[in-house]
Order: sequence, then structure tokens, then C-alpha cells
Amino acid sequence: MKTIGLKAGVTRRGALAAGAAMMASAAGVGRAAAQASGAPIRVGGTLALTGPLAQTGAIHKVVGEIFIEQENKAGGMLGRPIEWVLLDDQSKPDLARTLYERLLTVDKVDLLMGPYATANILSAMSVAQRFNKVLIHHTFGIPKLANYDRHFPAWPLGAEPEKTVTGNLFDALASTGKAPKSIAIVTSKFPSVQFLAAGARDVVKQRGIEEKLYLEFEFGNRDFGPIAARVREANADLLYVGAIGLEGSQLLEALDQLNYKPRNHYYVYPTPGPLASSPLGADAMAATAYEDLAPLNASTTAQEFSKLFRVAAQKAKLPYLEPDTQAATSYSAWQTLTGAVNATKSLDDKVLADYLKGNGADTIVGKFRFDGANNYGPDLMKVKQVQNGAWVIVWPKEQATPGKTIIVK
Amino acid sequence: MAARTRSNSAGRATPLLALGACALALLPLFHPPLFFESFLYLIFFWITLATSWTILGGFSGYVSFGHGAFYGIGVYAMANLGKPLTFGPALLLAGLLAAATGVAIGAVTFRIRRLRGELFALLTLSLAIIISTIVLNTPIDGGPGVMVNIAIPHVYEQQSSTLYLIGLCVAFGSIMVARAVQLGTLGRGLFAISDDEDVAEILGVPTFAYKLIAIGISSFLAGVMGGVHAIFVSYVTVGETFSISVPLYVLLMSILGGARHWLGPALGAIVITTISYSFVGGDSALIARAAIGLTLIVATIFLPQGIIGLLLRARITAPELPAPHASFAAAPKTPPYEPTDGPLLEAREITMSFRGLRALDGVSLTINKGEILGLVGPNGSGKSTLINVVTGFYKPTGGVLLHCGHDITGMSGHERARLGLARTFQIPRPFARQTVLDNIMVPALFGARHESRGDARDRAMEAIEFVGLQDRCDALPDELNLHQRKFLELARVLASGSRLVMLDEVLAGLTPREISEAIEMVRKIHACGTTILFVEHNMRAVLELSDRLIVLNQGHLVANGNPREVIADPVVVAAYLGADHAEN
Repeated sequence: MKTIGLKAGVTRRGALAAGAAMMASAAGVGRAAAQASGAPIRVGGTLALTGPLAQTGAIHKVVGEIFIEQENKAGGMLGRPIEWVLLDDQSKPDLARTLYERLLTVDKVDLLMGPYATANILSAMSVAQRFNKVLIHHTFGIPKLANYDRHFPAWPLGAEPEKTVTGNLFDALASTGKAPKSIAIVTSKFPSVQFLAAGARDVVKQRGIEEKLYLEFEFGNRDFGPIAARVREANADLLYVGAIGLEGSQLLEALDQLNYKPRNHYYVYPTPGPLASSPLGADAMAATAYEDLAPLNASTTAQEFSKLFRVAAQKAKLPYLEPDTQAATSYSAWQTLTGAVNATKSLDDKVLADYLKGNGADTIVGKFRFDGANNYGPDLMKVKQVQNGAWVIVWPKEQATPGKTIIVK
Repeated sequence: MAARTRSNSAGRATPLLALGACALALLPLFHPPLFFESFLYLIFFWITLATSWTILGGFSGYVSFGHGAFYGIGVYAMANLGKPLTFGPALLLAGLLAAATGVAIGAVTFRIRRLRGELFALLTLSLAIIISTIVLNTPIDGGPGVMVNIAIPHVYEQQSSTLYLIGLCVAFGSIMVARAVQLGTLGRGLFAISDDEDVAEILGVPTFAYKLIAIGISSFLAGVMGGVHAIFVSYVTVGETFSISVPLYVLLMSILGGARHWLGPALGAIVITTISYSFVGGDSALIARAAIGLTLIVATIFLPQGIIGLLLRARITAPELPAPHASFAAAPKTPPYEPTDGPLLEAREITMSFRGLRALDGVSLTINKGEILGLVGPNGSGKSTLINVVTGFYKPTGGVLLHCGHDITGMSGHERARLGLARTFQIPRPFARQTVLDNIMVPALFGARHESRGDARDRAMEAIEFVGLQDRCDALPDELNLHQRKFLELARVLASGSRLVMLDEVLAGLTPREISEAIEMVRKIHACGTTILFVEHNMRAVLELSDRLIVLNQGHLVANGNPREVIADPVVVAAYLGADHAEN
């Protein structure tokens, strides 16, 4: 069992510095640092630390550790240190369910933090529901499936991302006056990805864009040659790739083999590093909740988080050291939890749930609201684009990286 | 090991298991932390999958990587049909759909002799891929996964407790089914198939039907557990359901626990699930993987028969031998012939070709009731091929085979065995992982007599006594010398109660003294009323024993008649020694 907590005291200078940082934070935690003392508040959760989802699970572990260390240095929750009871669900939803039952009935944790990935979160949610516990989670991909009234998502997709995420993209493209007239959609059958891609078809239809190709492929597919041939044949203005992980990069390589370069291309959940660093990824677009770029990182908290994440990610040997959506939503989930506890000075789940529904949460990703359908607030996702070998935010305009606008061909 | 300990372990373990299952069923009444029920449920889940797998993979030796497919069919049957049909009927349908798929696959693959071993494993792996592709690309799932919100019967206050109880019932039921299979006639047949399928078939085991039954039971249980598990996880996706980790874990659990014993996979499931669960802490996550790997390596090296083998080793005792009775001095009686005219066996123009090589070319012969027919010929003349054709191992390319006047050309090997045709092998082919007694039980159960289990045991003991192996009943074939292994083969044909026994070079490799003993044994078998086809190179024995002699050369029957006249026939001499010698 992993327990993380700072029970020892911190130095006065450190406490003051941390306190000053927190007070300066745009996220508005706004608490003076004080030594966390007393019995720890135990927060239980699982992550995919082994199994097929472990690579991403590791990001959430790193972030949780960063946050708890920061929080405990700043006085903890309600003046008490936070202890994270972290278990490995081995990427298995059935084990996630059992472990959440263990956390509640054997480890008797005070609060819950969600696992990684949609299926595991649903398993945890069913347990939280039986025990009427608040469940804050960071990576739930299909909002319509979450109908428990005390779940609170930190992945800010909005209630209908199948409409809004793609809508944002077309708004961004339309803003240039060069909106695509045709689209080719290819998507992995990974549930949360396919869900968005299928929704994109409706958006495309509503906007009068010609769908030249819609193609689904198996998650885990490695042979993108035939798919690339179809994409080239369609030769649409925009290539929309419902890809997770490296699938997008692999498709681009297959297209390159055919001497075809998509005019404009968008990816749902790509592995960010390879796409940005490859020449083939030039002008690639994707959805994001956070990048360490102005103005998103304007707050002290965000800057501190970004700095700490790079160090911790390097130490943990993560393949991509930049803090982006995964890391930031994970951090935001913790901010949501501790923010509610500190604001209400309560660990009671009903009190916390009522507070969150009424007040939302201030996070480095933005202001969360949980007052919509299935406790979802507005879609806070942005559009980013690879420009000069690095990701920049290009939409919405007010959150775009200074001096950067979307490139459309 | 399974066979050696067959009768020792089952009796005592079953009441204990039943008692344990009853105690576990009552657990929710004591309101333990919910997690305990949930953890135990996961153990039940793996017990069911591993136990159901072993009914096919462990007992029959057909290692399947497709178990995830049967389980997945159950998962999606419940996910899609649970609401319209309600829980009970949907669960039954989950099992039946999985079983139907298993039987359909078996009906095709089990007919093809080359699809054994790794080819069968690969084929079943492909099955899982095909099924998952169908599920993924049809409304059964379509990609986004399926939420499973299905009401289950209200037994305990908490639905999760009821689900736990259902999991327990399915797991216990699976173990009991595996036990019944192993200890029954089906299990005898499956173990024989596992050790040597061709021999099992010609000893009378209906191998095709038994494999179909095994895959049907195995996939039914996996489908049922899949149906239950769909409710447990509440949201099912193709990637998770058809993950390769499911059949891999099942395989590992079965091997660790002991795949040839009905209780072995359950033990393996308990150990691996517990290890896996014991290291779920954030800092020790990788330890579980390492611990499981290490456990398997250690088990493979030191426990080739699994944990169950270790547990039972100390408890193995020699089977109780039935008290000697008067008939022991005599051979087991061969069933009387039905009154028919004509020869016992008649081959008409039998031809057998292998890709252009004609091993038998228009061979016609008769074997008369009660005679010892000698069959000689140079190496490669077609003697063994002829026996293989008569016993049904090969289907002849041409010609007709008549038994008591009835055409048996199209009959399978086991059907011919039940008619009373039996053989021995030039190089003994005992069931390597079964004791002497169990080896001989197989033909007693499945052969011409088709005895009940109790009678089969008596018959097997008579045969063992007859060939003088009574002190080696509990030995494995590897523990016998060649002489004893040959006699084991003789005991098998004796126990089968066959009317026609084909002895394929039983004297090869024996010392002169052993040869004399073997000849005496053949005489005794013949004296019991058994017709014998005696294939041999040893001319002294052939002349001593045969009433009539036939000679094969290059697939042709070249001589037939009185043994002494036949061996003087220039054609026969030429076949053995060349034309020059025949002329001299």
C-alpha cells in the first residue's frame, strides 16, 4: 500500500514561501501555510500502475505525489496532513471495484480519489454510489455514462463532448475564413475515442461539411497502410483522427510512405511528444485542457506545478516531461477535492457534494462547474497545434498562446 | 498424477469442499467488510474460468487460448440480453451461446487430425480475435462499450452479497462438474486422448464425441461466469473482455494448480489471485508480477504436476486389489461370437496410398474365427499399414472391409474397437501419464465389452493378473521395462474383450527367454477363444504359432497357406532374399 504524507514539520521559511505562493495563486487556495498536524486525512484511490494503462497511470501517480507534498507543506487539509492510500488496480475494472471496496470497508479512508481510465472510473463509481461517497476523478471520457450525483469530473469535457469538442475545432478553423469543406474521419475503436469521433460525424453533418470517409479500426492496430490509402484517396480538407497513443503518428508515417501529407489534421488523444517532434506532425491539431504556456500557466500555482512536474517526471523516467492534459487534470482533481474540504471544513460527503455542485472548483485548468447534466459544467477543452516543433494553444483566442493563431491550409 | 490418485483424493475432498462452500455462502450474514466478499468473488471468478478451461485443456490436452472468447460471449450475452430476458434466462443463454460456439468450433477442428497441439492453440486464439472483431463491429458493442444495469435475484440485502453468492455457486458448480467429468467415463476417455489420441480411438474411446462434450461443458461454464462478471464490472468493453490476459491467466492458474486434476485449477486460481492481490500497494505494484512469474518458474521446475501433485504425493497409496478369485488363473473370457457364416474379417481389394506411394495394392484376405493367422513380409511391405487400415486408423483409398459379413470400411476406430478389433503396437504406446491399472481400464471401459466402471476394474485386474503385472498396478509406464510394456499392451487387448487381436511385432526387442514367455502368452490368449493376427519377423515364433501364414511384399499379398509351405515358396524367398536366392 502506498501512503504518502508529510507528518514531519516544515521550516518556517519554507512554510512562508509556500504560503506566499499559494496566496499569489490565481487558483485562489489562499491559505496561510501552517504545519499540518494531527491524524492524517486519508484519501484512497487506485491507479493503473501495472498493466496496459500503466504508462499513463504513472503520470497520475507523479502528480498526486507532487500535490500532496505541496499541500502538506502548506498545512494540509483542515490543518491535518493528507495521506494518500494508493493501490494498483492493474488496469482492471473488476479489481478497481474490489479495491475501492477495500479502501472504504477495510482501510476506511476518509475520502476518495478516482482511478485512471473510463472503465475503471465506472467501476469505482459504482462502489462510491453504494457508499454515498464523493468521487472526484480526472480521466472520464464518456460523460453520458456517469449518472451518479456525487461524481465530479476534472477532465473538463462538458456534458456533450461529442458535440462540443469537435464544435470547438470547427469554430477555430472557421475563424480563419478557411473552414474545411470536406473531412475524412478515421478512428480507433477505443471507447472514449470512438465516442468522440462518432459524435464528430453529426457535427460535420450539421455544418454542411462533406464526409468523404469514415473508417474505424481496431484499437491496437499497427498496420496503417490500407487506412492511409483510403485517406489519400479521400483527399479531404481535414483529416480527423480518433487516435489514442501512438496511433496518430503511425498513421502519419503510413501516409508519408504514400507520399501524402494531409492538408489539415486533428487528433483526439495523441501521445503528445512524438507528434510534436516529428516533421510529419507539423500543423497537427489536438484537444487539450492545459499546456505550460501563457496564459494558461499565468497563476503561480500552475507555474509551480509545471516546474515540479518536469522534475518529478524526469525522476520517474516518464517519456514526456511536459505537463499537459493528463497531468493538469490530475492536479485539478486534487485541487477540487482539497478545495471543497478546506472551504467547507468538512469531510462529510453530502456537504462536500453540495458545495461542489454549488460552487465548483478553481483549478489550474480553469473554473470547474458541476451544475450541468451528469454533474458536468462547460467544455473547457482548447485546441492546440504543433508549430515549429512545439505545441501551442490556438483556440479559443483569449486562451491562445500569445502571438499564435491557428494555421489552416 | 491425476489418474494415479484418481480414487484417493476425490472422496475425502468433496465433503470438505461442500462444507466450505456452505460456510462461505453464509458469510454475508455476518456482515464482513464488503471488500472480503468482493475479493472472494474475484477468486470464484478465476476458479470458474480456470476449472472450466481444464476440462478441455487439462483433461484432453487440447490447450486452448480461446477461453477468453467463450467468456466474452457470456459477458456480451448478459450485457445485451440481460434486460429483455431478465437475469436467470440471460445467464442460461450466456452459457448456451458460449457452448454452441465451442461445439461448432470443435465440430470443425476436431475432425482434422493435424489440428492438435500448438495448431489448436493458435486456432483458438484466432477464434477470440474473430469473436471480438464481430462484437466490436456490430451493435453487440460497436465500440463504445456497454453499460450493464441488470437486476439480480434478491437473496441478501446487498446486491453485491448476492452477486458474491452467485459467483460462489458457479465456482463450486464448476469444480463439481470437473470432478464428475474426471472421475467418470468421460474423464477416462479425455485423459486417454490427452496421452495418445490415436491409441485412445482404437481402444474404443469415441474421441471426437468426447472432445465435443468437453469443449461444450468447458465453454458453457466460461459463458455462465462471463454473464455473472458482466454485472460485476457493470461496464464492458471489447478491449478488456477479450484481453489476451484472460486465457493466459487461466492457463497459468491451471498449470500451477495441476491441470490434470479437477481441484488443481482452483488451487492455482486461489494462489495467483491472492498473490496478485497481495501486492496492490502503490510501491509494490511490480512485485506482484515478479512474484507470479517466480511462482510459476518454481512450480514448473519443482512441481510438474502442480500444487495438487505436491499435496497428494504423500497420500498416494497403491490401489486396493480385488481379492483373488477362481477365474484369475484363467484368462478373461472373450464374448461368444454371434452365429454368422463366413470369416471373422474379410478384406477385399484393399488399397492404401500416401501421396502417390501405394502401401497396399489390392490386398484381399480373410481371417477365420479362432485361428492364428501369421503375417510376414519385409520391412515396408505394408504389414503395419494393413493393421492400421483394419483398426480404422487409416481409411483405405479403395476396397472393402467386412466384419462378420458387415461392411465396416467407413467405421471409425472406436466403433471397430467395440466390434472387437484390437491391436498392439510394435513400439508400445501406453498412456504415459496413467498407471498400469488405468491404462488397462480404458479398453475395459470402452472396448468390446463396454463394461460398467466397477466391472471394468475387475476386468482390468483380471487382465493384469493374466499377464503377470499385478505387482505393478500403480506403476507408470516409464517405470516398466520393455518386456513389461509389451505385456501391458497385451493386457490392454485382453481387457478389451476383443474377438480379433492384431499383434504387431510383440516379440521385437525381447530376450530369448522373454520371447518364449511371450509366445506362451499368445498361446494362452488364443486358448481363450481369441482370433489372432500375428505380425512378426521372428520366423521361429511364426512357425510355432501360426495356423496359416500370409505374406505381403511391396503392398501385394504374395502368399497364403500352410506356414511351412509358404516360407518355402520361391516368391516369398525372393521377397526376403532376392530373386537369386529363390532360384537356388
